[in-house]
Amino acid sequence: MKFLALITVVLAGVPFYAGPAWERPLIDLLTLAAMASLWNLLAGFAGLASFGQQAYLGIGAYALFATGLDPLVGVPVAAVAAGLAAVPASVPLLRLSGGHFAVATWVLAEIARLTVSMATGNTGVALPAAHEPLLRQAITYWWALAVAAGAVGGILLLSRGRYGLAARAVAGDAVAAAASGVKVTWTRRVAYCLAATGTGAVGAVLFADALYVQPSSIFNVQYSVSMMFMVLIGGIRTVEGPLLGALIFFGLQRALAGYGPWYLILLGVIAILMTLFLPRGIIGKVGRPWKSRAGRSYSVRWPLWPAARRRSKDRGPRAREPS
Amino acid sequence: MLEIDTVTKRFGQVVVADALSLTVRPGDAVGVVGPNGAGKTSLFGMISGDLSPDAGEIRFAGLTVTRLDAAARCRLGVGRTYQVPRPFADLTVFENVLVAAQQGAGERGRAARATAADALARTGLSDLSDRLAGRLGLLQRKRLELARALATRPSLLLLDEVAGGLTDPEVAELVEIVRAARGDGLAVIWIEHVVRALTATVERLICLAGGRMIGDGPPAEVLASRAVQEVFLGVTP
Ligand SMILES: Nc1ncnc2c1ncn2[C@@H]1O[C@H](COP(=O)(O)OP(=O)(O)OP(=O)(O)O)[C@@H](O)[C@H]1O
Ligand SMILES: [Mg+2]
Repeated sequence: MKFLALITVVLAGVPFYAGPAWERPLIDLLTLAAMASLWNLLAGFAGLASFGQQAYLGIGAYALFATGLDPLVGVPVAAVAAGLAAVPASVPLLRLSGGHFAVATWVLAEIARLTVSMATGNTGVALPAAHEPLLRQAITYWWALAVAAGAVGGILLLSRGRYGLAARAVAGDAVAAAASGVKVTWTRRVAYCLAATGTGAVGAVLFADALYVQPSSIFNVQYSVSMMFMVLIGGIRTVEGPLLGALIFFGLQRALAGYGPWYLILLGVIAILMTLFLPRGIIGKVGRPWKSRAGRSYSVRWPLWPAARRRSKDRGPRAREPS
Repeated sequence: MLEIDTVTKRFGQVVVADALSLTVRPGDAVGVVGPNGAGKTSLFGMISGDLSPDAGEIRFAGLTVTRLDAAARCRLGVGRTYQVPRPFADLTVFENVLVAAQQGAGERGRAARATAADALARTGLSDLSDRLAGRLGLLQRKRLELARALATRPSLLLLDEVAGGLTDPEVAELVEIVRAARGDGLAVIWIEHVVRALTATVERLICLAGGRMIGDGPPAEVLASRAVQEVFLGVTP
C-alpha cells in the first residue's frame, strides 16, 4: 500500500518534470492497468468472468457526453452513472454463472450499444475541449492516474478484509461458500457494481483523452478480450498480476501496432500458449519476488467454468449453484 | 429443532426422498445408513438448502426454511460437510475456517479469529494453518470440512461420510473429534458407511433405501431388523 502511494505520488508529478510527451503513453498504460485490475476483481476475486465490461466503458463515456460536464468534474459522475446502471443489470446476470454469465454480459453490452446508437447516432459524438490542450491533457492524465491508483488501492484493501475473503471463497467454490454462510449473490453483486463503477470512470477518461467516441469503438468486445488477456498473462487472483499484464500488453501493442492483423493473431497465440503452459500467469509461476503482507501467492486457476470441471470429479449429488 | 415433514424429491425417474419425515431434537445424535444412491446426501442437501424438495416442508429453529437459501440456513445454525470435500483450494486452511466464522457465525475481528483457531485446534489442523487447502491430503480435507462446519457455530451439524476412505486409527480420531464437539448441546446427523464409527457415537440410527425410511431406533435394533438386513445383505424373504 505504501509502495502504491509512493508510485502514485511520483507519477502525479510527471506533467511537471517529464512533460506532455510522457503523458500520452502513460494515459494508455494507466487505463489498461485500471481495466485489467477491475476485470480481475470480477473474474479473479468473485469468479465472474465477463465479456461485457465494454458496456460500462461506453456508459461512462456517454454519461460524460450526456451531462455535458467538464472532465475535471465529470469523470466521477460518469463512474457513478456506470455503477448505477450495473445495479439493475446485475439482477438477471447474477442468476447465471460461468460461461452463461460471460455470454449474457456480452449480449447486454450489445443492447447498450444499440440503445446508445439509436439515441445519439452511429457516427459518434465529440467532447468540446474545455481547456487549452496542454492543461487538458494533464487533467486527463491525472484522472487516468487517479482511476488506476483508486482501482488498485481499492482492490488491495478489499482483498485483505472480510469482504475480500468472502469473495475469494465464492470464486473458489460458490456452493461451499453458501454452505459456510456467505451471501453469494450479494458478494458477487458488490464486485460487479464496483467493477462497473471503475470501468465507467475509465470510459470517461478514454473519451476525455480522444475527445471523440463512437458506439462501435467504445462498446467493442475487444476491450473485454484485452482485459482478460492482461489478467491471464500477468496472473489472475493476484493484485500485481493485472499490472504486469497491462505492461506486457502495452509493450506488445506498441511493438506490433504496424503489423495489422498479425498483431491480433500473435496475441491469440500468446493467450493460448499461456493458458496451456502458464495457467496461473507470470506471477502465479514465478511467485512474488517481493514480500507482500497478504503472505503468500494464491494458487491460481482458470476460473471460467470451474463448476463444470468440478462436477466430473464429483460422485456426490450435484448441488445447485446458489442464487 | 429440525422437522422434516413429508418431503419428496425426484431426479427424473430416481426418487431420492419419498414422503420422508424426520424430527431431530437439540443435542440428538442420529446416524444415517443406507445403500449407495439411497438419498442420504440428497437429504442433507434439502436440510442445508443446496437442494429444494419437490413437496413437503422443512422447519428449523422454529422457522419454515424450505424456501431459504443455503447461506441463510447456515446463519440460522445448520453446518454441513460434503461427502466429496469442497475446500476453497486457493485459500489457506486458516482462511477456509475464518470465512466460515465470519460469515456463518457472524463474528468479527478477534472473535472470528478465535473461533477459527478453536475449530482448527479441535480438528487437529492447527499446524497446517498456513497451508493452501488445495494441497491437503484426503484425511486433512475431511478434517477441514469438519473444522469449517464447526466454525460456523452450528446448532445442527450434518456430517456426510467424514470417515469414508480413512484407516481405522484415523476413523477413531474422527469419532473422538465428533464426540468432543457434541459436548455443548449440538445436534448431529451423521451419514456413514463405516457403521462402527456410528455405533460408537449415536444413540439413534435411521436407515434409508430408495428415499424411504426403513428403520429408525436404537442402532442395535435397527441393524438387526429384517428390513435393514435385507437391504444390506441382499436377503430376500
Ligand atoms: N443433481 C442430481 N441430478 C440427478 N441425479 C442425482 C442428483 N443428485 C443425486 N442424484 C441421484 O440420486 C440418487 C441418490 O443420491 P444420493 O447422493 O443422495 O445418495 P447417497 O445415499 O448419498 O449415496 P452414497 O452412499 O453413494 O453417497 C443417486 O442415484 C444419484 O445418482
Ligand atoms: Mg452420499
